[in-house]
Amino acid sequence: MPAVMTRADAAPQWRGQSGHDAKPKYLGFGLGLRPQHYTDILDSAPAVDWFEVISENYMVDGGQPLQMLDRIRARYPIVMHGVSLSIASTTPFDERYLADLKALAERTEPEFISDHLCWTGVHGINLHDLLPIPYTREALDHVVSRVHHVQQYLQRPIALENVSTYVQFPHSEMTEWDFITELTKRTGCWLVFDVNNVFVSAFNHDWDAQAFIDGIPADRVVQFHLAGHEHNMTHIIDTHDALVPEEVWGLYRSAVKRFGPVSTIIERDDNIPPLHEMVEELSVARSIAQDMLPELRMP
Amino acid sequence: MTPQERREGGPSLHELQALLQAAILNGDDKILSFVSGNSRTDAATLFSVYRNAYRGRLLEILANDFPLCRRFVGDDEFERIALDFINAHPSRTQNARWFGAGFPEYAARMATIEASAVSELAAIEKALADAFDSGDGTVIGLDELVQIPPEDWSRLTFKPHVTSAELIVRTNAFDIWLALKDDAEPPEARRLPEDGRLLIWRQGNRPMIRPMPYEEAMIWVESAKGVPFSGLCELMATFDDPENAALRAAGYLQGWLVSGVLGSVSVQQSRPAAARGMGVP
Repeated sequence: MPAVMTRADAAPQWRGQSGHDAKPKYLGFGLGLRPQHYTDILDSAPAVDWFEVISENYMVDGGQPLQMLDRIRARYPIVMHGVSLSIASTTPFDERYLADLKALAERTEPEFISDHLCWTGVHGINLHDLLPIPYTREALDHVVSRVHHVQQYLQRPIALENVSTYVQFPHSEMTEWDFITELTKRTGCWLVFDVNNVFVSAFNHDWDAQAFIDGIPADRVVQFHLAGHEHNMTHIIDTHDALVPEEVWGLYRSAVKRFGPVSTIIERDDNIPPLHEMVEELSVARSIAQDMLPELRMP
Repeated sequence: MTPQERREGGPSLHELQALLQAAILNGDDKILSFVSGNSRTDAATLFSVYRNAYRGRLLEILANDFPLCRRFVGDDEFERIALDFINAHPSRTQNARWFGAGFPEYAARMATIEASAVSELAAIEKALADAFDSGDGTVIGLDELVQIPPEDWSRLTFKPHVTSAELIVRTNAFDIWLALKDDAEPPEARRLPEDGRLLIWRQGNRPMIRPMPYEEAMIWVESAKGVPFSGLCELMATFDDPENAALRAAGYLQGWLVSGVLGSVSVQQSRPAAARGMGVP
């Protein structure tokens, strides 16, 4: 039994009037949009169903980034994925950041908006990292209130991604998956399930990745992330700079089995190869999902 | 972690975040009392991932933002300056795009001529990056100007394009930048006999930069303040060769229009000095 008190009734889920309340549709197989690939994408119309963009890269006033985003958005569905929302920080939100995020969403009309279940700094400082939180009731209450605030501001439910972590907090009162489950119940937020991050955290903390897969609510998962990492024997560092390793593909199979058809991307943040290599790697994900879900039809 | 291993009474979320941040920024180890390792290694080793990632990530941001600066001083020296900057100026921006905004100024703190050149080289790279993704705004060219009756030309006022910026350099940083950009051997840093002025703007999607002669820079600055074309000509006449002042001013104006560095043109009312709305939408 989860070591947590359910408070779904006390704090209502997101019920907006904005037309963004329905579960985001299945998008197929996509890639994280990277500037190195702009020209190839526009010239070659690659076998990619959609793109995820790093929100902050386009929270600028003008110029080539926004022009490219507009051109690619005209051809592909887009999901906005941020890295600086800092949803678990105990420092008040940066209202300018939220305003810029909302403005970008109004311009881009993404399928949904996501960020990470983490914090990035306090006291006005940003460490530009995805930092871990203790899974306590206090932290849960805090994150729930912040998710409510953001969803109210953006007038839509957001999606949050599990991050790779390297330390645990012994005063945690529940597992990460119980924490996430409660968060979704109390806020109505969606989940980005980063398969690599689950693998990394499970190894780093000696828990069973399958327990994570089994432990979170399947109906809240709207996206898979696939990526590579660096194995240091005693621990794994989430680098997102390499091919998706076999063990992550294995976990992806388990995730597909449990969650069914879920919009999927491969996310590469460093050592970015040519577009055709990314598309080739993406075809592995596509074939695994099609093998496991024969009824799967691409959008 | 099993329930039996869970510890009661840890710090509050706020306290924990303050401790964790201090551990990353200042090397304070208090956080290690509140985190656990795994079956293969201890908490300190695992926590070092966060410490290393922090500096590594910010170094990478600065290296990406100031690639020619890095090449000019070499990897080791760049890392030394960048780490000093990172330690002295933790990021206070939500967007990593702006983290290096204060780097050129910081690099100038070192008193040598090389440091001044490095700072100005960084300032050039920053200005070009700013021009790359700053607002789009309007651009006017010769076509817009010829629509204005010639009798109004003396009262023309101009606004620079929103991406334009002027940079004053005291060293040969621009020559260093030019050489590095072309993968050539850069000249040694030296102080210029008199300050140089650089004009930076975006043409289409392409950031542009060029030096401005002193005379041009003088009327560029005055023009940006709203001084009409006749005033610019008078300024030129007091500066040098009064007979050809208007011709020279017209030549500079033509250059601005051709290169797309002007955002709007208006005809100044004779009195008061309010501009009639002839800006190009």
